[in-house]
Amino acid sequence: MNRNNIWIHVGIATVIITLAAVLGQIDRWRSALKTPVNSVRVERKVLVEKRSASAPEILVKFKPGTTLERIKSLAIGNNDLVTDHIESVQGLTVIDDLDNEDAQAVADQYAAMSDHVEYAEVNYQIKLDDPIQKQDTRKAFFLDISGPQPNDPHFADQWALNNLGNDGGKERADLDALEAWLTTKGSEDVVVAVLDSGVDYTHVDLKSNMWFRPEGLAPYVDEQLGTFNDLNGYNGTDNIADPMDDNGHGTHCAGIIGAEGNNGEGVTGINWKVKIMPLKFLGRGGFGSTNDAIEAINYAVDRKKNGVNVRIISASWGSTSKSKALEDTIRAAGDAGILFVAAAGNDGSNNDRRPHYPSNYDLPNVVSVAALDRTDNLASFSNFGLRSVHVAAPGKAILSTWLNDDYREASGTSMATPYVSGVAALIVANEPGISMDKLRGRLLGSVDKLDVLNGKVETGGRICAANALSNVVKRHIH
Amino acid sequence: MAITKESSVEMAKRDLAKRLDIDVEDVKKISVSDRDFPDMSLGAPVDGEMAAQMISSGWEIELNAKGKNHNYRADKYQLRLHNFKGSNFVIDSK
Repeated sequence: MNRNNIWIHVGIATVIITLAAVLGQIDRWRSALKTPVNSVRVERKVLVEKRSASAPEILVKFKPGTTLERIKSLAIGNNDLVTDHIESVQGLTVIDDLDNEDAQAVADQYAAMSDHVEYAEVNYQIKLDDPIQKQDTRKAFFLDISGPQPNDPHFADQWALNNLGNDGGKERADLDALEAWLTTKGSEDVVVAVLDSGVDYTHVDLKSNMWFRPEGLAPYVDEQLGTFNDLNGYNGTDNIADPMDDNGHGTHCAGIIGAEGNNGEGVTGINWKVKIMPLKFLGRGGFGSTNDAIEAINYAVDRKKNGVNVRIISASWGSTSKSKALEDTIRAAGDAGILFVAAAGNDGSNNDRRPHYPSNYDLPNVVSVAALDRTDNLASFSNFGLRSVHVAAPGKAILSTWLNDDYREASGTSMATPYVSGVAALIVANEPGISMDKLRGRLLGSVDKLDVLNGKVETGGRICAANALSNVVKRHIH
Repeated sequence: MAITKESSVEMAKRDLAKRLDIDVEDVKKISVSDRDFPDMSLGAPVDGEMAAQMISSGWEIELNAKGKNHNYRADKYQLRLHNFKGSNFVIDSK
């Protein structure tokens, strides 16, 4: 790093730290006076803008026993600034390089401090570089099938839940939802976090199944980022905490998990009743940064530790970028008892050879999901992997909720993932005390075996809600 | 304002001209086609980026300059340069 102007930089850092401390104290005073949470937004805005204005950032995992004072001292010694701690992963710290040196070089500099540092990596920011969706108006029709059939008018088009072989489909190439619903249709006591582009929590088919922060639960406080107005969930992408979806993808995934069932509107989720917690980190374009994902997972872990029954994080996103910090945060979610269900990716490639993350993290709480079409074949776009992809689920031409009370068909492992998350939520609804390990084992051990998945996914099967709830392993052989 | 097929081509030409330090007039449009991409980074993620894994429709733009073809990808939210000297770039994002 450039040391020529070291005292100027140290001075700037001191001013910033002092300002943050003053703002933090103001916030504590406000909290003590029970200031309405809306007014806290302004305070966080200041901090976040400051943070984003100073790049690059480095994620540093300090070794246990390294005190906060020591971390700050090391950062100041490098003319850097500690901007955040990821509370769910001990020692994981976000550091701003005030010199704007090459990010990898700065990360390498921290990594070389082996007495104190386990690892350091660049916290990539998604920056501008200077120099199958089909909307479809559906006709409602009803079919005479035994079992609890919802009155949602588009249910007949939800082949993933109940495939009757129409539209070129294959009978029973589905999740056996009708049979599963004989056991349970979900529970409002189960919270599924949708880590995505947000959720349109005003959607007519979702609003009754949205999570909101209970009155008795204090707003989320991040020591560095400030207090969040997390009444409706979390938003790590901008300066307010409103997780309203501005893309549509997260709303689609939320509807697959838990569009209200039997309400005479649109579609039904595989859970008729559930609580959807929106965690927004993908922006309007449907992409976002690893660090924002980490912060959002950290939020879910915090809420879990504060009594919210978050049992599943549904992650319909990914890339080939590997991050140890993200891996550690997902592990921390597992330690807190949260299952992490992740999309395998849409490149039609083998994840055993070309890893896709976060689905490829070899963690005890990760489930990686491939996509099937309505004939029980692996979708042409779906990634696969005998060692790295665990199960398959319907993911092509999936009808679900969209922005502004709309409905759309969409395709991708993005759509397969929330079906697995949804089945996991049904299991928890039926067995509230089930451990995370057993929940994952139940999902993977109750699949419907499919010949086409032999050698393609670890379990060789499609997720099956009916099997999972009855704890009958591999009952339906297709 | 959302990116359009037409505006994305013009932005791509300007970007490539700047990158190669040539006049915009020396950048030739080879083709512009509708295409489904594997994810919401249009199959062109940058380092550290995570993208929704939903098949997404957009436009693929092939340009030629200095005897070499270059691949741009766009939808209403973004314009990206794919595999330029081994890397992807976000050119514009709305």
